[in-house]
Amino acid sequence: MPRQTIPDLLPGTLDLLILRTLQTDPMHGWAISERIQQISHDVLQINQGSLYPALHRLEHQGWIDAEWRVSELGRRAKYYRLTVSGRRQLAVEASEWDRMSAAIDRVMKFA
Amino acid sequence: MKLNDLRLRARALFRPWKAERELDDELAFHIQCETRKLMADGLSARDARRRALARFGPVPLAADQCRDQRGISFFETLARDLGFALRMLRRTPLVALTVVSTIALGLGVVTVAFTFFNMFFFQVDAVRNPDELFTVERLERPGSRSEIPFSRAEYEAIRRDTNVFTDVAAARPSFPTRIDGRAAVGMFVSGNFFDLLGVTAVRGRTLTEADNEAGGRAVVVLSHEGWQQLFAADPAVVGRQLVLNGRPYAVAGVMAEGFRGLRQSPPHYWAPLALLDQFRPAETRSQGWVDVIGRLKPGTSPGAAAGALGAWASAHPDIRKFIAPKRPGEGGPQDGIVHIMLRESRGVISKDRTEAMMVFAPILFAFGLILMIGCANVANLLLARGLSRHREIGVRLSLGATRWRIVRQLLTENLLLALVAAALGFLVSRALLAGSIHMVMSILPPEFTEPTDSAGLTVPPGDWRVWAFLLGGAFVSTVMFGLLPALQTTRLELVRAMRGEVTRDARPSRVRHMLIGSQVTASALLLVCSAVFLRSTYASATAEVGVRTDDTLVVRRITESARPAMIRALEDHPSIAAVAASWPAPMQSGASMDASVGDTTAEIDCKLVSTQYFDLLGINVLRGRLFAPEERSPATGVVVVSDAVAQRFWPNGDPLGQTIRLGRRSGGATEPEEASPVPAQAYTVIGVVRDVRSTLKIFDFGYSGIYLPTTAEQANTSFIVRVHGDPVTTRRTLLDALMKVDPALGEITSMKMMAGLEAAMLEVFFWMAVILGSLALALTVSGLFSVLSYLVEQRRTEIGVRMALGATPRDIVTLVVRQSMRPIAIGVLVGGGLAAVTAVVLLATPLAEMMGTLVRPFDPLAYAVGLSVIVATCTVSAFVPARRAARIDPIATLRAD
Repeated sequence: MPRQTIPDLLPGTLDLLILRTLQTDPMHGWAISERIQQISHDVLQINQGSLYPALHRLEHQGWIDAEWRVSELGRRAKYYRLTVSGRRQLAVEASEWDRMSAAIDRVMKFA
Repeated sequence: MKLNDLRLRARALFRPWKAERELDDELAFHIQCETRKLMADGLSARDARRRALARFGPVPLAADQCRDQRGISFFETLARDLGFALRMLRRTPLVALTVVSTIALGLGVVTVAFTFFNMFFFQVDAVRNPDELFTVERLERPGSRSEIPFSRAEYEAIRRDTNVFTDVAAARPSFPTRIDGRAAVGMFVSGNFFDLLGVTAVRGRTLTEADNEAGGRAVVVLSHEGWQQLFAADPAVVGRQLVLNGRPYAVAGVMAEGFRGLRQSPPHYWAPLALLDQFRPAETRSQGWVDVIGRLKPGTSPGAAAGALGAWASAHPDIRKFIAPKRPGEGGPQDGIVHIMLRESRGVISKDRTEAMMVFAPILFAFGLILMIGCANVANLLLARGLSRHREIGVRLSLGATRWRIVRQLLTENLLLALVAAALGFLVSRALLAGSIHMVMSILPPEFTEPTDSAGLTVPPGDWRVWAFLLGGAFVSTVMFGLLPALQTTRLELVRAMRGEVTRDARPSRVRHMLIGSQVTASALLLVCSAVFLRSTYASATAEVGVRTDDTLVVRRITESARPAMIRALEDHPSIAAVAASWPAPMQSGASMDASVGDTTAEIDCKLVSTQYFDLLGINVLRGRLFAPEERSPATGVVVVSDAVAQRFWPNGDPLGQTIRLGRRSGGATEPEEASPVPAQAYTVIGVVRDVRSTLKIFDFGYSGIYLPTTAEQANTSFIVRVHGDPVTTRRTLLDALMKVDPALGEITSMKMMAGLEAAMLEVFFWMAVILGSLALALTVSGLFSVLSYLVEQRRTEIGVRMALGATPRDIVTLVVRQSMRPIAIGVLVGGGLAAVTAVVLLATPLAEMMGTLVRPFDPLAYAVGLSVIVATCTVSAFVPARRAARIDPIATLRAD
């Protein structure tokens, strides 16, 4: 199966995926990409080079917060956490996504 | 922009190494995790790492993209713009120099005015909680301007019996005194004065209650200025003895620099109030008054306190309720109510503050005009330069810079120049201040400028407000000279600009004309002012004084006990030619009496004079005779009348030998202590003298009235003396000699000084206006000249073509000159109109009313002269580039293209 990288999907979905992944626990960058890959059964593989710029952009926008913690490897890692405004943004983007995918669904079925 | 964003940007800006290290760590950690995962899948450590790196892609690229997320911060842009600006300036140092010096001059000039403004309005005295300090004023009636001063007894009652203040002090600015033979100004203050203000001495001690008890201890506390001016900042001054008006005093302490005793400029010294008795006996109200200053209790409003004080004073038997009118319509209420007002007392102007501001505002504006003209000049220069930067700006625009980004870059360049100019402007303002004070001092007669109510005119300190003003000025002038050219320069057609063509749209001729027009307007305004002042100065200097003033001095305020000794000293003094006496002094009006002859009654002013008075002041006899030596008092029943009085009562007959009856003016009580020395009785006219006519406005020597006989021995008379030689030097020696006889003697005035003072004051204004006006004109002319030269250069080809087609040099000159005439004509008209409007507005303020009597603000000749000077200089400066244009060789220019 050909691997699908995120930028080939709809633009803006990377932000949504990152925010959704961080909804429960704080995570570092690698864990985020692993998680997305696992849950999507390896369908979604994030281009590593675009993950970190996205994380930094979200941090500047105040939707996620960063904190240095000691990781399971015993080394300091930068953990990202969803902020209050990030949670709000996630809700907005998720509903937007629902609307969009439902619309695409309908087009695929009835057009 | 979000707060988080700012925080992260600030961190990246101020701790870039930390942000970088964290970025590296983060990316390295990712690689490490990936490597571990691949190793768990069974790869060797080396292979796993290689795969991990390959999957990640180029690490530096990712890092760079992360950095880009930070964006470029405001400060990074600023730093970049500044760096660029510095490189640009280094490339064109002459432009930078012109801009900086023009703006520095403008800012320096306006700062001169602001420094004074600051001193009068903002520099609160260095005392504890100045907001609580108030001067108690007793008004003649509610809302009245004139107040009735408090006596020392009244001050004591206020201090003892009222409770709105935490404490109340009394202060009395001194009459002119002399310390060790040098003019000095002091204040007599109650012992608690320094405690009330909450200030301490830097050397020795301040005055205390003990100094003011039992007749007072003979000590003074020096101000910083007094210490420097009178004692050359002697570090061992405390305890030193000095002679104050002939009496020995000791120095108790020196106050800190900046302490002014709640005045705008400090006196030389403070002495205990009790010692005032040595010089000004307390019994006479007009001499024993004091200012009453209180510190309001916290939480008390000034209005409520004034009401409480008024009620208290109205009920208190020792507080005076009534003041007699001097003229009808004046004088205090007779209903027994005392009107009290509390006025802020902080060492800045607090009385009629708005009016003072209204007088100051036009002065600040006049000085600001120079900055405006300078800015217009620089704007013109930058407009011209903008054309030569078209290609550069075109390149930057086509590379994707926004217009706003380039405007910002240009403004940063200008701000850099303006800030340098502001720093220089401070130095310019200091130099100008010192220079102008020196100028004022040399124009005004020395007798006038010697300290009379403060330690003299000195350069006011430049505090943080002056710096803040300069900083603000730098920003404002950046906008004034930089914004228009920046907007104009960035408005261009890209493609043509890249090709190096000047597009039609960017030729800012309208802006340029507007700038020249406004420069001419400002110059016209200033030059008209200086012409008005010059004419008034001339009118005043050539005014008819009416009496002989060249060699006469007036000795006033003589202590009565010292009078006989004083007369002897005067008669013995080698430089005295003649002595006369009069009541009151020559420039004051006397007692107003009802004079009646037969049925005719008229209000006539009466003076007492000794017979030498007429000869000494050059008032010649028209008919009859003067007082004989034995006619020494009004009781002899003889009078001399002036011509106008004689004409009034005896238009056809002979006044000599006629009887004239003098009576008290009906209505209006007179204070017992100010009792008129003119007895109401019948008098015989023995002579007629000429009327004294004077065209001076302030010190009006003019007099027409009735003269009654008196002598120098008579109490309350002033002396008028004629001296040999120079009255200025004689005045000094005489002052020293007479002060030995009467230590309290304050005032010897030369009549020449008084007659010349008006012209001198106008001269100061004239010089101020003429310096500003010529600065303005010079800037305008240089601006006009450079703009026209530039335009001629720009239109070289066009002119060449015109000439090739048969235009004569004359046509070309006309072409160029005519181009500049429109803005000049408009500027001259608007400037002249503005001058007239300003005059109307100014004269409407009460404080400037006096100026209105002195100057003729609508003098047509002054307007004509001021405006034609501008037209002439502008035309000449337009002709030079025009002539150059006319000399253009058509063949050479056509070939050059």
